[in-house]
Amino acid sequence: MRCARCGAEVTNKIIKINGVIYCEDCVKELGYDRYLQNPEELLGAAFAPLDEIASSFAKMAELDFGNSALACPKCGLTLREFENNGRVGCIECYNTFGELVVKEMFRQQGADEYGGRAPGQGLIESDDITEEVEDGAEEVKEIPATAESEEADKKEEPAKNDESDEKKLEKLSKADIGMLTDEELTEGIKLATKLEDYPLAIRFRDELKGRKGDE
Amino acid sequence: MSMWYEKYGKDQDVVLSSKACIVRNVKGYNFSNKMTGSDFDSLLEQIDGAIDKTVTGNVWAANALGSGNDTGKSLLTPESQLFGRNMYIIRDPNHKRIYYNDDAGLSIVVGSHEHLTIRAMAAGNDPSVYNKAEKIATGLERKLEMAYSDKYGFLTSDIGVVGTGFKMIYTVAIPAISKSNEALAALRDRVSHYHWDIYPFAEQGELGNSSVYILTNISTLGVSEEEIISRGKMLLKDVVQFERTLREKVATKNKTQTSDLYGRSFGLLRYSGVISRKEAIDALGWLRIYKEYDDSGEINISWEKINKLTQDVCWEFIPAAKRGSTAASAIRASKIKSILKGDD
Repeated sequence: MRCARCGAEVTNKIIKINGVIYCEDCVKELGYDRYLQNPEELLGAAFAPLDEIASSFAKMAELDFGNSALACPKCGLTLREFENNGRVGCIECYNTFGELVVKEMFRQQGADEYGGRAPGQGLIESDDITEEVEDGAEEVKEIPATAESEEADKKEEPAKNDESDEKKLEKLSKADIGMLTDEELTEGIKLATKLEDYPLAIRFRDELKGRKGDE
Repeated sequence: MSMWYEKYGKDQDVVLSSKACIVRNVKGYNFSNKMTGSDFDSLLEQIDGAIDKTVTGNVWAANALGSGNDTGKSLLTPESQLFGRNMYIIRDPNHKRIYYNDDAGLSIVVGSHEHLTIRAMAAGNDPSVYNKAEKIATGLERKLEMAYSDKYGFLTSDIGVVGTGFKMIYTVAIPAISKSNEALAALRDRVSHYHWDIYPFAEQGELGNSSVYILTNISTLGVSEEEIISRGKMLLKDVVQFERTLREKVATKNKTQTSDLYGRSFGLLRYSGVISRKEAIDALGWLRIYKEYDDSGEINISWEKINKLTQDVCWEFIPAAKRGSTAASAIRASKIKSILKGDD
């Protein structure tokens, strides 16, 4: 939960005034803290809160006016510009506008902690994948070159064919169907049926049928 | 060579395109909104030296405009989708450069809202576009020091993309869902569970409230790239299934009317002399709904053509002064006619 005024996370004590959540610092700045320490004071002076509210509005207006003049020392972007466009001008703005930037991040994204990858480290080169490859390489070294292993190699051949079939089909599926020859379409139908990609087989069939219809 | 979106794509009856967009800024320079001309020249020199030209070897720069350069001219067609809606990317063209591959499915824009906008685009449902974009991004990250903090990730000008700087964007054509407010509300509810967003391709203007919608992740903070992709896959599966179920209901429950609308829609697209964008998208929506249920064999339009037409109409660039004019509608109709010639 976050303070509606400054965006800071409220951890210890949740203070709700007129339905709005504030952190302890903001409560102090707004001058409400004495009522939190001595609630009876609030009961004893019925009109005091109204005065306080009025003066806190004045304080907030001053604060807003003051902050608007705040500018980044590096790029010159003002707080007003940031508030209007939701964009900062340079890395230094993240320090200059500090909590306000964090507040905006939280408002837009519901989070303010990074959960992604580091620069230069791709998902496709993650440690897990590398380990698998290394393990696999060790296994290959340990298998003796016997007749059994040759048998195993032979058994693997159809799988390799399937793989090349897959590649062929992928190539055909990505090509502009109008540019494929009749022979390629026929091959595509066979491969797609073999690999159980029936929608693709139907597509190739319809194209071939359409061409024959044109003739 | 055909463009990326003219190719076959998985789930192409519903999913028009998958796009992965990664933004980065180079450390040591102000962001684009606070950059001077000389800063841009210096940044461009650095970036140009770091880009792998064997992947994105074509270049669009301001001097290609009106210079008679064929590449520049061919890209100045709306089809490429490189320039963004209404070509926003090439506003202030002297401070922009675009590197792209032959089918324009991979591109790097320099000098847009962020220093680098890396895009990988593919027809249909294809989450592997992320790997393609990531490969380019990591290559650049190894050569250039990027604006990065351990706490907030990749720092950006736009606070809405700080963190991974990664948006996965699916464009879907959902005429059956969008015809029912209840179905659309249910879909919105489902999308929000994944912390994704759905919005119409255009909320106002000629294409306001059309049946083309965009699905994209909301957060780039507090979530990893893998999680974004994984949520997107699950969500898209739901959307495709939901749309197909509703199409089946519409097509089989009111077969006579739907069949009639299918034929009329094709006729409108095939023979109109003047057609508005809204009319075209509505007609394409009826083609989508009934195509798989048409057993007459009289109309032979392919999904590739339906998708090409949908994207051409959505992404066409019309100067503000000519929007909605009869002349623009006549050019559109003529283009559609030429694409559909021979399909009846």
